[in-house]
Parts: sequence; structure tokens; C-alpha cells
Amino acid sequence: MNQDIHIPALARVEGEGALTIRLKDGAVDEILLNIYEPPRFFEGFLHGRYFQDVPDITARICGICPVAYQMSSVQALEAALQVSITQEVRQLRQLLYCAEYIESHALHIYLLQAPDLVKLESAISLAAEAPELVKQGLRLKKIGNDLLKTIGGRSVHPVNTCVGGFYRWPAEQAIHDLVPELEWARQASIDTVKWAATLNYPDFEQDYEFVALNLIDEYAIYDGYILSSNGKRIAPLDFEKHYIESHVERSNALHSHTADNHTYFVGPLARLNLNHKKLRPMAKAAVKEISLKFPLRNPYKGLLARAIELVHTCDLAIELANEYQPQGPCHVEFNIQPGEGVGVSEAPRGLLYHRYVVDEQGLIRFARITPPTAQNFAQMESDLWALAPTAILQSQEEASLTFEHLLRSYDPCISCATHFLKLNIEKE
Amino acid sequence: MTQLPDGARDKPPGTIKLIGIGQSLRGDDAAGLAAVRLWQEKYQAENARPNLQVELAELPGIGLLGMINGAKIAILVDAVRSNNQAGTIHLLSTDQLEAFKDGAGSAHGWGVAETLALGKQLMPLAMPETIYVIGIEAGELSLGEALSPEVELVLPEAANLIERLLTNG
Repeated sequence: MNQDIHIPALARVEGEGALTIRLKDGAVDEILLNIYEPPRFFEGFLHGRYFQDVPDITARICGICPVAYQMSSVQALEAALQVSITQEVRQLRQLLYCAEYIESHALHIYLLQAPDLVKLESAISLAAEAPELVKQGLRLKKIGNDLLKTIGGRSVHPVNTCVGGFYRWPAEQAIHDLVPELEWARQASIDTVKWAATLNYPDFEQDYEFVALNLIDEYAIYDGYILSSNGKRIAPLDFEKHYIESHVERSNALHSHTADNHTYFVGPLARLNLNHKKLRPMAKAAVKEISLKFPLRNPYKGLLARAIELVHTCDLAIELANEYQPQGPCHVEFNIQPGEGVGVSEAPRGLLYHRYVVDEQGLIRFARITPPTAQNFAQMESDLWALAPTAILQSQEEASLTFEHLLRSYDPCISCATHFLKLNIEKE
Repeated sequence: MTQLPDGARDKPPGTIKLIGIGQSLRGDDAAGLAAVRLWQEKYQAENARPNLQVELAELPGIGLLGMINGAKIAILVDAVRSNNQAGTIHLLSTDQLEAFKDGAGSAHGWGVAETLALGKQLMPLAMPETIYVIGIEAGELSLGEALSPEVELVLPEAANLIERLLTNG
């Protein structure tokens, strides 16, 4: 192949992006992952807004992972306002997060990445070849959305979460009624792991620095410390000292590096590699049954990691739903005071960081949101460079597909990732 | 066997689903939501339709299949992009939707056209017998809440088309 590759619109990813690979004298000269979705000025929207508006506004950043934006934002604001939530509230937030993992992971496994691994063009082609498989994926996704709707009032962009707790407790019976479907989902997830282990993943491994939240006694999703595979464990407050965002001219999204200018990788692979010992027993059993060895250094095996997390989150959701019996108030009362706080949680696509400054009236004076896909962009480009020398030996069409498959394995959420922190960064 | 009252059909009328689809923060992408809201203001109180369910769906993605599953008739109102003037109203059959497949702007590549194609393939018996898609040609799709004047102008026509489909469709 001796022509440049240009993929003008990446398919089956959220948002709008393009990829150009330029060749010179038969070798790769330039790789441009170009994000052209209009920058989303959400941080700007939040300036001057009342703090309690933030969870509902940030939820609009993404139609697939709105809960993650609510969870990181409420935790940051609760830190800023020195609010402590109750254990009941924490458990319901965990259950809400499980709902998002189930719907988001089911979507990516079955409808976005699986067609690549079985060499089909789309989920519609996959549905023609293996209808029962795709039906299973759709039912799993629906179970996640139903749980999300029961807690959050809507299956997309839920509205019930507030700083201090929830606006109302969902009806007990409505939550308990979902348990039989969640039990089906757990078994379907175990089957998904077995099926995922049979897929042919491209032979591609890199020596990544994985970064994910970590807790001593549970598989961290809702909150935690920030752990790196290089052994560094930091408090969420120190995130911006260790992980730096910078503007890249060709792209509307910011790119992230470690403070010593290395790329790093967030998401399901990072979580699983760093925290697999904290998985629930049923998910551990699924791992054992397929004889999986850690660490996983193949980005395509993100699908396998998502499948294992499906088992974990379905099992956790069943426990939380069965135990759900709210007694206390659905949110705590507190006084508004000026302050600054950060919140981190694990969105399905990886670590999501929020920081806010609130004034004495409860108005937002500063907002910073660092989504997982923005953190992974530099790593994606690095992977493209590693893949390119062999990929360009293929035909133009095959090479394009090879690059697209790699990017889709990251499950990039480009709409979430496109934002500017400050416009004056460009002028400096 | 209990006699049905005069005028009743042999079987109860199936559910009709009216769904406005779009994103309220992305300019004319909210056209479908706005048209259904206007229909609610102007017409909903006029005729009691116990078998009608109305929903406003922002970024439903493949969740749309769950919303229309089991309905007899579905009327979907959404913004579309072809090469027509902003504000042009299209009444499309599902076959005609092929021309509007464009995953890039929708949640993880699942627009209405792709979703209905998947539903037709996977669960043909659960899909509505009739699906009408009212497409409102979008002009401005950048970030912001306001509709463009061309789209705003045709909302009454779109609401009237919804009412006519509900009455005669």
C-alpha cells in the first residue's frame, strides 16, 4: 500500500472524529487523530449556575454514561460543601452505577466491538448471522436501562441524583421487581465471558501504564484512590499534579499525559488489571473458568474485561437491590458555604475527574471535567504508531479497518471528550 | 359470549406510540421534541385517545426498540439531514429511511434508521405494523438550545401532520 489513509468519519463510536495516516517513502510519516465534533463548553455552561443544577447539566454530556457525570460531580460538590452522605445513599448510587455499567457494556460488547472481532461490517450483519447473540445483548442493555429508569426517573439522562443524596427514594417494590431480570442478566453475563474468551483477538500487546480507582475492600467504581500500575497511589485531590491535560492544535479534545510526559491508559482493562483481586466471587469464578492470566496488555481484550465487569456489576446489583429498604431521609440537609472539591469515579470508559469551586451563594465559580476518552487519546495515538508499520502492508481498505478496529476497542466517547478548559490556552 | 357494545371492534385497538426524538442541547436536533410538544399543547386535549402513549426521547439509541415494542402503530418525529431546505417536512416509510442512515451524530452510531433496521431483522413480530417517521430537515446543529427560524416556522405544520396521522392513519 502506498497511499495515505483517510477515514473521514469513524463509525460506531460516540461523537465525530477522523483519522489520517500520512506515508512518506513507504513509511508512516504522520498520524492525526482529528476530533472535529464541536467543543462542548460544559465547563463554561456551569459558571454562575447554582451547585444543585450541576448533576443534571453534566449528565447531558453523554447519553451512554450520564450516571458517571452525576456521580463524579455530586462527589466533588459534596467535598466542596463539606457534606457527608449516608450509607443508604451510597448504596443506591452504587446500584445506579451498576445500571449504567450493564447498559453501556452490553452496548459496546455486542453492538460496537463484537462485529469487528467476527469480521462483520456491523451489528445488523451480526444480527443476521447470530440473532440470538444480539438479542441477548439487547436484553442485557434493556435491563440496565430499566434499572436506571427506576432509580433515575428516565432511562437516558436520569434526574433523581442531587448533592446530598437523591430527590426521592425509588419505590422498594419497583427495585425488588427487577431482581429476576438481573438474575437472568448475571447468567447471561457469565455466558458472555465464555463466548468472549472464544473470540480471535488481534495479536497486539503494549507495555501500558494503567490507571484506575482503587479501594482496599471493594472493586472501585463509585469512588476511591487513584492507583497506577507503576505503583503510585494518590489521593483524588492530587490528580491534576500527576495527570496533565494539554491542548493539541489539530483536535477539539484535550490530550492527557502523566506529569513526566508519558501516555497512560484508563478504562476496563486498567480496572481489571489493577483490581481483579477485588472482584466479587462470581466474577472471579468466571475469570478462573476461562483461565485468564493478568495483566491483560491487549487493548482489544477490553471486550473481555467488560464482560467480566458485567458479571461483577450484575451480581452486585442483585445484592444491593435485594437489600434495598430505605429508612432514613433521601438526602441530608446542609448549609451552603464557599469551598473547593474534587470527585472521581470510574465511568464505564474509565476514570472521570471533576473539580469545582463554589462561592458563598452556592454558585459555581470554576469547573474542570476530565473525561476518560480525553485521557486515552494520547495512548490511542501511541497504539496507532505501534500498529502502523504492519498495518500499512495491507490493502488500503484492510488497513483502514485495522485502524478503526483498534480505536473502537477503546470504546471512545468523543462527545464526552471534546471540551476546552480555557480558550486562552491557544493564545499562549 | 358477552356481546361487545355497538361500534366496538372485534379486538381492542392496539397501542399507538407517538415519540419525539432528538437532543435539546443541539440546535435543530430538538425539532422532533419541539413538534411533539406543540402537538401536545394544541391537540392532545381535543381528543381522548386512551390507546395513545406519548414520549419525548433524548438520545434513545437502541432503547427506541423497547419503546415501540408491541405497539400497533408508531409515529416517530425526528430531525433529519438530507440536501433539502431547513424546515422541509418529510413523511417517510421505514424503507425510505435508508437514505438517512448516518451514525456519526447519534449515540454510538445508533440512529433511528439503524435501530429500526435492527428491530426489523431481530424481532419482526414485535415491531409495530405501521411506522410513520416524520422527518424535519435540520439547519443548524451546533450547540445551543434554540431552533433555527426556518424550523420554528414549520412546527405547526408538523404538529398538524401528527394530528392527521392520529386521526386518519
